[in-house]
Amino acid sequence: MKDFNLILAGIFFTLAASFGGLLISSEVQLGSLGRAPAEEGGALFPPRETGLAIQGRQVYLELGCVTCHTQQVRPAGQGNDIAKGYGPRPSVARDYVLQSQLFLGDHRNGPDLANYGARAKSDDEINGHLRSPAAGSTMPAYNFLYVVDKNGITQPTERAQALVAYLKSLRIDYNSPEAKLKQ
Amino acid sequence: MMPVRLFFASALGWLIISSVLGLIVSLKLQLPSFMAGCEWFTYGRLQVLQQNAFTYGWIANAIFGVNLWIMSALARFEFKDSWLAVCGWLGWNLALTFGLGAILLGHLNGYSLLQMPKEVAPALFISFLFAALWPAVAFVRRPTGHVFVSQWYIIGASFVFPVAFGITQLLVVWYPTSGVLQALIHSWFIQNIQLLWIGASAISAMYYFISKESGRTISAYYLATVGFWTYFLFAGWTAPASLLGAPIPVWIQSVGVITSLMMLVPVIILGINFFGTLSYNRGFAGAWNNTTLRFVLVGMVSFAISSALNIIFSTRSLNAIVRFTDFTVGQQQLVNYGFVSMVLFGAAYYILPRVTGAFWPSAKLVHLHFWSSALGGLGLALHLLICGYPTGQTGLVSYYIPVIIFVLLQLVGHAAFAINSFVMLLASARNPNDNTHA
Repeated sequence: MKDFNLILAGIFFTLAASFGGLLISSEVQLGSLGRAPAEEGGALFPPRETGLAIQGRQVYLELGCVTCHTQQVRPAGQGNDIAKGYGPRPSVARDYVLQSQLFLGDHRNGPDLANYGARAKSDDEINGHLRSPAAGSTMPAYNFLYVVDKNGITQPTERAQALVAYLKSLRIDYNSPEAKLKQ
Repeated sequence: MMPVRLFFASALGWLIISSVLGLIVSLKLQLPSFMAGCEWFTYGRLQVLQQNAFTYGWIANAIFGVNLWIMSALARFEFKDSWLAVCGWLGWNLALTFGLGAILLGHLNGYSLLQMPKEVAPALFISFLFAALWPAVAFVRRPTGHVFVSQWYIIGASFVFPVAFGITQLLVVWYPTSGVLQALIHSWFIQNIQLLWIGASAISAMYYFISKESGRTISAYYLATVGFWTYFLFAGWTAPASLLGAPIPVWIQSVGVITSLMMLVPVIILGINFFGTLSYNRGFAGAWNNTTLRFVLVGMVSFAISSALNIIFSTRSLNAIVRFTDFTVGQQQLVNYGFVSMVLFGAAYYILPRVTGAFWPSAKLVHLHFWSSALGGLGLALHLLICGYPTGQTGLVSYYIPVIIFVLLQLVGHAAFAINSFVMLLASARNPNDNTHA
């Protein structure tokens, strides 16, 4: 192995093999995936995000939330995500087709948020959690997202409102052709 | 050689920055309210900053320097156009500084090691070509016909980074593919960067220094070719093993698991090459008494353990337990610090005196560096592996105290290393008789 071109050609082949085998083949399988109804004639899923939620997605990104929170529920045979209550069903590829940038995440310092919108009871609960997380939590308080108005009442800024709208939009509690909810 | 000195100087700077950031980040895990008032210093951003400064600052700059030096030494290369490499060094570090500043201000992407704003990527790409393709030039122009295994790994590493980085930037950041394909491409990128750029560079340095400093030929050298090709062939395919349970097709996940098991072949060959070379005639005792090889020894052991763990924990049932936990952070720590960084430290102890023509100012600082880094780095990895395992103690307040202590220990070691190195680099910068060469 003394020939530079031979070594380079070999390395190029090894890279091309994994690129073609893994990525091009999955593009063939998943590239044209779009929204679909769970039953014929039903509403299309996943639902479109509202404008405010799209702004909130940007806030979620800017604050680096993905560092500690994943957005993927693994199937029952692969970990205990469903038993922990992270979601009623596993995440499937179709859930993500409308997202410009995915926040799947690879580490959990906090709970998974794929179905957080269905768990959170109200805006106040989410705002309260962002301002003062539960004692013992490793999550910092995001006080800079809130201002105190002239009456001395704490109000969410526009960014906080957008973030809350985004967090509420995170749900997978709908039927998908690939993953049905248990009745 | 001017570029080698510059690469090491900036690598040291980034190492200190990332260590300080690491300390702040671990303090924030223990005390979430620490520096929480300012948006710039939220955990989510500082952790990203630390990871990027460590990988693209410390590891990348050190790899540029080490690869260039080893290739020049092996190929008897006389570096004439070193200003081009200096341009690459300048471009890389300026782009990185800009990118990290942007992250601090909140302009970031959500994929690890692709977080810097997309505008930074072309600058990094071009700078890489200027900074890191010299080993290929050295190889092509070598006056001797000899080839050593280190050279293959360096050529591979220098080629893989720009290709994988370029493709991934295009398909994930600039013109994003739809849905989960992004995550799959990203995992392919991470695996290529981790194994075929960073890992291959460290393996090349291990081959070089183990043979050079022990004065022996590599045992079972004939296996090295098989090891090299299987390593490069399987590494990229292992990507989906880091996505087990994710919403990607199951057959792709299975391919990742199977190829991870197949990585046993190159890992065993590398083990035979490295441990075999040092195993007879009191080789390990000799290595322990040699500064460079002492660091490389720790790297060898970490490489063996981390490879075994990566293979074992890519199986579905075990991966299901540890995925998303601090156990995986411990695995990464073992690879990036215990293996790669220790080998790069060892390389620096060999190369810097030769490019500066000076001696290490303080032997005490060298010892301090070794013990702080070895205990801090391996201690942190072990703590995360044992206590991060889900049946362990995650969530208890006392859990993060050892993390802070180990990170502090690493910082002490890095400070000792940096003081020693900068004294040496500055002394050589003041010395106008630059007659040292590779």
